[in-house]
Amino acid sequence: MRIKWGVILILVALLQSCTVLKEYEKVYVNDEEMLLVSRSLERFESNFQVYREAAAGGNGGKTGGGCGCN
Amino acid sequence: MKQQLAGMAEKLEAAAAVINMRKIRITLSVLWAFVGLIAWGQQSTTQPTPTYQKKVLEGIEIETLFSYYAQEGTHGAVGGGLGTEQLTDVTPTVVVNVPLNFNTVLTVETGLSAYSSASSSNINPFYSTLGGNNDDDKYDDDYDDKPSGTGRGWGSGTGAISAASTGVVNGVSTPIGTPWYASSGASRSDVLGYVSAAVAQSSEDRNQIVSANLYVSTEYDYTSLGVGLGLVKLFNEKNTELGIKGKAYFDKWMPIYPTELHEYGKYGNNFLNSGYFSGVPVWDINGIGTSGYKPSAFTEWSNANRNSYTMTLEFSQILSAKTQFSMSVDVVGQQGLLSTPYHRIYFADKPQYFIGDHTYINNYEQTSNYGVFRLADDVERLPNSRLKIPVGGRFHWYLNDLATLRTFYRYYFDNWGVDSQTASVELPLKLSSNWVFTPSFRWYEQSQADYFAPYGVHLSTERYYTSDYDLSGFTSKQIGFGLGYKDIFGQVDVLGFGLKTVDFRFQHYYRSDGLEAVIYGFGIKFVEK
Repeated sequence: MRIKWGVILILVALLQSCTVLKEYEKVYVNDEEMLLVSRSLERFESNFQVYREAAAGGNGGKTGGGCGCN
Repeated sequence: MKQQLAGMAEKLEAAAAVINMRKIRITLSVLWAFVGLIAWGQQSTTQPTPTYQKKVLEGIEIETLFSYYAQEGTHGAVGGGLGTEQLTDVTPTVVVNVPLNFNTVLTVETGLSAYSSASSSNINPFYSTLGGNNDDDKYDDDYDDKPSGTGRGWGSGTGAISAASTGVVNGVSTPIGTPWYASSGASRSDVLGYVSAAVAQSSEDRNQIVSANLYVSTEYDYTSLGVGLGLVKLFNEKNTELGIKGKAYFDKWMPIYPTELHEYGKYGNNFLNSGYFSGVPVWDINGIGTSGYKPSAFTEWSNANRNSYTMTLEFSQILSAKTQFSMSVDVVGQQGLLSTPYHRIYFADKPQYFIGDHTYINNYEQTSNYGVFRLADDVERLPNSRLKIPVGGRFHWYLNDLATLRTFYRYYFDNWGVDSQTASVELPLKLSSNWVFTPSFRWYEQSQADYFAPYGVHLSTERYYTSDYDLSGFTSKQIGFGLGYKDIFGQVDVLGFGLKTVDFRFQHYYRSDGLEAVIYGFGIKFVEK
């Protein structure tokens, strides 16, 4: 429970610090390494993690479909 | 929380029944939306477009991906939580992005997953890895499949077993198997093939993206059909992004059962005198011949469907010129056959029965068991509904022109009693304007599912049971690196396409129950010039 409240507090603190960037100010956040998605090759790692672990999802990956039984 | 989840699961099950009836309608609706989006996109190509507008995607992109995965472990679920988990998987994949017009992108992906699994091969463990076999179907166990001659399959004649190469006997022909080594039955390998297509349509002001997707996959004993819709809105001068996605998968098993249970289901109580097991000696725990083996707990599954429904909410926010984060919450409901039909279960309160060389019974649980296999009491039984809720967040920080920090955290829980946490960190390092080296580390932990117990611990009085260590409590660590090359000017030309990126990744995975895996990935992307 403490962890959950800690995460919420951190998020609120982060949102408080938000600034609005103009397009020309986004040179760093638009850098390819900054993209808020998994890399193409990570799909294969996500696949085997879905098979070998009970948890899945929460990162835009596949959450169902396919066998997952090997 | 668990009671609430159980209540939610019941509601989910009822809702799923209704949804199931409507799934054809849903599928048709998504197909309609999918075709409509393409038509809309193509129609708008004929309309004048302001010259200042930049295309969402400038040209066709073709990405070829390849991975090789290998694992080893000692808790094979096909052996009831005991035995080899050796597996290799090769996955060639092609992804093509096509701009249909200024605003619309079509993505088509197709690939294979060709695996070879020692664990799955032991659905029928009584085949030789050395000798041939006459297998003519995936069940591995039809009477007419029965190989004759020697090899670690059926043996004949007299004499002692020689490692895994000859049959056992005691004067009688008998098949030989062991959970610790692969058999050569047809289920040792399979190929999953899939195709997916997605259309994403951006608004003129680029503040909205509507998407639809379809997914179809097939392998020998499993097919899957997936459909999805998504909507993303950008606010606050594109500093804030909010998305909602819905996905549904309609999967179907063609259940395959362990040989002994398949034969029991086929011939009933007289199965030891019929079919595959006709004339085969069965041993008790003391190595004495017996006819007492009857897996009466086993019944074949009547429902072979598995449906999954996912609702995803995503939120991302730029925090500063060099930091941004995102959050994603999934609500995943599954219903139908969530058990794997060929995962064996051995009960602690039932007598033990074996086939093969009875001299190995005393060291059955050790890798030195080259020649005896314990007959199953049942297959795993899991509830027919599951509610899963993962909440994930990313935080990325552009440290300087050389390094970026990428972090990810996820908390997950479900109504099967599993709680888990995942944390990962990557540190991409720009070695030059073309090369990026990315070391990474991932940590994961999960609690044991309510229905899990190790090999031979479950009781026949339990309603649900599994010995699949993927549902056990464990921690895992994954460490690796990536190396990326970016051809900024697309100087390498292949058939009118310029090279854009080349990527390689290597990861080593270690699970606290002893399972180890490595995965290599390679990708190369070309763009239309």
